[in-house]
Amino acid sequence: MTTLAMKSGAVVLGGRTIWRDASFRIEPATVTAVLGPNGAGKSTLLRVILGLVPLSEGVLEVLGREPERGNRRVGYMAQSRYVDNLSSITGRDYVGLGYDGPRFGWRRDPKKADVVHQALMLTGTASFADQPLRTLSGGQRQRIALAHATVFRPELLLLDEPLAGLDLAAQAEIVDLINLIRDSTRAAVVVVAHDLNPLAPIVDEVLWVARRQIRSGPVSEVVNERVLSELYGHPIEIIVTPHGRRVIVGLEEEFAHPHPHGHDHTDELGHEHFAEFYEEEAQ
Amino acid sequence: MSLLQLLSTTFVQNAFYAVTAVSIAAGAVGYFVVLRRQAFAAHAIGHVGFAGAAGAVLLGLSPIVGLLVFCLGAGVLIGVGGAALDDRDAVVGVTLTAALGLGVLFISLYSGYANATYTILFGQILGVSNDDVLLVALLSLAVVVAVSLTYRPMLFVSVDAQSAESRGVSVRAMSLVFMALLALTTVVAIQVVGVLLVFSLLVAPAAAAEVLTNRPWPAMALSMGLALSSAWLGLLLGVWLGGPVSFWITALASSAYLYARVRAAIAARSQAAAHA
Repeated sequence: MTTLAMKSGAVVLGGRTIWRDASFRIEPATVTAVLGPNGAGKSTLLRVILGLVPLSEGVLEVLGREPERGNRRVGYMAQSRYVDNLSSITGRDYVGLGYDGPRFGWRRDPKKADVVHQALMLTGTASFADQPLRTLSGGQRQRIALAHATVFRPELLLLDEPLAGLDLAAQAEIVDLINLIRDSTRAAVVVVAHDLNPLAPIVDEVLWVARRQIRSGPVSEVVNERVLSELYGHPIEIIVTPHGRRVIVGLEEEFAHPHPHGHDHTDELGHEHFAEFYEEEAQ
Repeated sequence: MSLLQLLSTTFVQNAFYAVTAVSIAAGAVGYFVVLRRQAFAAHAIGHVGFAGAAGAVLLGLSPIVGLLVFCLGAGVLIGVGGAALDDRDAVVGVTLTAALGLGVLFISLYSGYANATYTILFGQILGVSNDDVLLVALLSLAVVVAVSLTYRPMLFVSVDAQSAESRGVSVRAMSLVFMALLALTTVVAIQVVGVLLVFSLLVAPAAAAEVLTNRPWPAMALSMGLALSSAWLGLLLGVWLGGPVSFWITALASSAYLYARVRAAIAARSQAAAHA
């Protein structure tokens, strides 16, 4: 069964269209990378899937139903900068909050210790789970955060920038772990990222969010010169290194100077409008 | 009078009951004040309380009525405004300064002697009446019950608000609940140590506990224990040796924090030496 299906989805926040005409599907046991400049609406996409932001147009089905807040079948890992990394609480307690954190009252759940233990085993974090978050390295913290997000063995796992702020070795470790989680739980994994390259070995599909649009498909069908040049309205070159990494030329400005507050005259999505937009930006 | 005779007087016994109730509530709420790094909000609510108490005295009411109205009002304001605006410090700062200004006005309008002001600022634990003790005990009990019931979601939003939100916890509601509990705790703590020294029960024991242990429940229990022992010992020393009780409590609680930090520093150093 398809994990997630979006048909002609659009999001409008405070009168501003974030993106529109988004149609894509996400299948079980796949990894989907969500790429695009800052402020393009990547995190908003996750919030829509979580049921925190409503679609203003279109239909979204998550696990065969409308998105609903607090669905245990959907796991979510927030950007690390929003987690209190200086906290004195231990990794194990943080993972435990993923299990019964939303619950009020005195009742203690006898199954909790076992479920938390399973999540620690899955993510290989048991050896440092009893240390406070503030003493962990960035990579260890992200592994703990993955344990927190997977405590209910979700069928859909949403990860917001899990590689941000990590060195290359730690990035590779997290990518391996994401792959392992996908293989062992058969979850559909959606990863918001800045750079495709570290994820490239495990990615099946790409959602490219930019200019109020979302382009979707296999890596080669989205991250190519024709699609990106058309999306951005100016020539984009892609250089593939002998090791298969992609260097994208022509988007440096876009990623260095994000424009979270877009211009209204790009509404019609015509190429002439993009040209105008760029001329204006250049002044 | 011997120490034993002094300890059996009504005013010392009332003080004992009051500090016991207050310390337990302040130790519990203090843990979240430290965990959420909202010491500034705790500080502000105390000062807002000053204006409330001064206003109540001016109107001829019991200071605790003014404290309740003003502290809860400020708590709601900071809880709603701060969570929504993501600009907590500014909201807290403006609330604090506006209330202090009102406090100054009330004091200047009040023609009575300055003793009332002094009591509000520095506490007057040995002047707690029977009625006050009952109210303080009930409020403290309510706070402790509420903290234990909301403990898990409160911890969740304090550590990872985004994940908590995705799991259906209302971050705004929890912020409001926290500020209301903080306000009630501040009201009762002011009865013991006064506006200027609320931190001695609300922050120092919890901060020490948070350094000494990493687990939430033990940290909260330790925080309550440290607050309680500072308060009991402070009361005893005040009665026995003289000097303001609030001074003794503050000195003891601060020493506990100092001890925790020194201990943690030594532990870190010996660990580093072991690795070297």
